Amino acid sequence: SPIVLDIAYNSIEFPSLENRM
Amino acid sequence: SLEDLFATLNRHVDNNDLAKVVKVADQVLAIAPGDEDAIRCKVVALIRSEAIDKALNAIKAASSLPIDLSSYKAYCLYRQNKLEEALDLIRGLEKTPMVLHLESQIFYRLGKMDSCIDSYEKLQKLKIDSDDLKANIMASLVAGG
Ligand SMILES: [K+]
Repeated sequence: SPIVLDIAYNSIEFPSLENRM
Repeated sequence: SLEDLFATLNRHVDNNDLAKVVKVADQVLAIAPGDEDAIRCKVVALIRSEAIDKALNAIKAASSLPIDLSSYKAYCLYRQNKLEEALDLIRGLEKTPMVLHLESQIFYRLGKMDSCIDSYEKLQKLKIDSDDLKANIMASLVAGG
């Protein structure tokens, strides 16, 4: 069957650090 | 100071310099053990570096803290092909786009195409759309016959 793209990987994001600096 | 370290960490995140993200996150954690943002940065950087074992170790190291890293753990388990274990973990999670994408990919690997398509429909209801998503839906429809 066709390979499914790993969109989950692309959806894993870093937290915002705006209020930590 | 902690603020300076976070400014450095943020710069490495923006530059996608993943090894340096891990290094500076560890420096934050040396000063502020259990800092949620630092732990999340470290785990995400390890996953994005394809260092799945190390990411799982970092998640395990944080297991006594009141931080929910389950979605990251589920992704790592998926990468290790521990699909049922990943699915068990996902059942208790809020259905964010990332979780729905992961769920659909797990169902696909398990050959559960109806469930796979269900997850994609939930993503479309959240107005999540992309060429990649369309490609995966097509793949599921083809594989599902
Ligand atoms: K896949």
